[in-house]
Amino acid sequence: MIHTRHKPLEEILQMLSGRKVALLGCGGCVAFYRTGGAAQVRELAERLRGHVEVVALGVSNRQCYLCREDELSELGSADRIRKIARELEGFDRLEEAEAVLSLACGVGVQNLAELLELPVYPAQNTLFMGRRRVEGDFDIELCAGCGDCVLGYTGGICPVTKCSKSLMNGPCGGVFNGLCEVSRATGEEIPCAWVEIYRRLKKLNRLQEMRRIREPRSHAASGIPRRVRVQEEAE
Amino acid sequence: MSAGSEFMKSLRSGRFTISGEIDPPRDANPQEVVEQVEALREHVVAANVTDNPIGNVIMCTLATCVIMMQHGLEPIYQATCRDRNRIALQSDAIGAAALGIKNVLALTGDHPRMGKSRDAKPVFDLDSVLLTKMFSTLRSGRNLSGEELSHAPGFHIGVGMSPGVEPIEAEVIKLEKKIEAGAEFVQTQCIYDEKVLERLREATSHLDVPILPGIAPLRSVGMAKFMLANVPGISIPDELLRRLESSRDLTETAIDIAAELVSAVKDYGFPGVHIMPVGMHMHVGEIISRSGVR
Repeated sequence: MIHTRHKPLEEILQMLSGRKVALLGCGGCVAFYRTGGAAQVRELAERLRGHVEVVALGVSNRQCYLCREDELSELGSADRIRKIARELEGFDRLEEAEAVLSLACGVGVQNLAELLELPVYPAQNTLFMGRRRVEGDFDIELCAGCGDCVLGYTGGICPVTKCSKSLMNGPCGGVFNGLCEVSRATGEEIPCAWVEIYRRLKKLNRLQEMRRIREPRSHAASGIPRRVRVQEEAE
Repeated sequence: MSAGSEFMKSLRSGRFTISGEIDPPRDANPQEVVEQVEALREHVVAANVTDNPIGNVIMCTLATCVIMMQHGLEPIYQATCRDRNRIALQSDAIGAAALGIKNVLALTGDHPRMGKSRDAKPVFDLDSVLLTKMFSTLRSGRNLSGEELSHAPGFHIGVGMSPGVEPIEAEVIKLEKKIEAGAEFVQTQCIYDEKVLERLREATSHLDVPILPGIAPLRSVGMAKFMLANVPGISIPDELLRRLESSRDLTETAIDIAAELVSAVKDYGFPGVHIMPVGMHMHVGEIISRSGVR
């Protein structure tokens, strides 16, 4: 899932610069992790009270996929919001909104911004694709969407995201008690991805995967704005 | 194509071969390089030039190597993957060869978070195995885009190794890949413990490349404690700490300890030693002389 973190209130207020605002949460990843669902929309409206006027609150099912663009072509921004979001409060006042504050990830914010004629602002910083550790004390990044997946050779552990240097051929000399050298700079215990990969492959009796030289990764697919032709993918 | 460096010739001759290390200065004063060169020149066959360790900005490797050559010391050009992508690494390598540099050492490089440039973008387009392969591809007369080089750089390619880290099997697998990628010699992270020398010898006995264990003088208890906390896989026997604690002349003690380690390296059958003087360039001659390896 996509992990996010709330922006500081001061930054949000600076972006809104006193305009009347509609708040839109998302029912996807941010609802699951309780950073951008219905309850968080209400909490944020409460924090904004006294600073800016919040005219309406709502939650869309998934801001990363709202609806077909042609279904909205005849509608103004207020009606578009009515169509794509479930009302929490004040949808009769949507015409007054001068800005929209989205609690979704960066994908949702961009979708809304393209769809609406109002300025759309992010209430959150989008961090990464990952999961919450079972212990619940950390959210960890797991996939960088690099476009060239190597998990089949690394025991299902991603060196692109989990190694600080995205190394392809084994641990660097900085590994320290099984931890990444960066742990010494940050004070956090960041496991060395390659020690984890080594242990996993050894357990799976697949250490030969680690003995093969992996060629330099191609960045040709990720260094430019990426797109995938839907038709080709379906074939 | 072989460059025929003095360093490689010495290793192949079977003579106990000693490399040193130059620390490029932070400022633009070439004299700071010249002084280190003059201190080392008569005692080592060649000396490594570090590439902005822990991402702290110092004089570039290439310029430092050129100053060394102008003053008669053969350089071992250290390249890391931290700051340069494959374009810059190849371009610098070709330039290094054109300037007469004959030895290179391929390293991953520390993460920029470790030093004073912590906000810098880490590159790591290649890693130490792939950098080794890049050097050997260039040496074979092609660049990584497959273009032919009519004048191929004839480097001797070295790599690093950390004999103290765990799990040692993962470290050895990586070293085997570096050798498969074209490495001709190995210099290790610094060693203070004969048990680590023993471990290194055992773990690499199946490998047919010269391995030069790294030795760095211990100048004080403070330095020893700093290294224990910050250099991965390092182990310093209590006996050495006690000697430093009770020392009345730390320079003398540092020289003695380093000399004993150099001597141990030879006794363990290694073909040479890599001395990292860490500021004690003036004393390298004395370390070697007391070690009795010559």
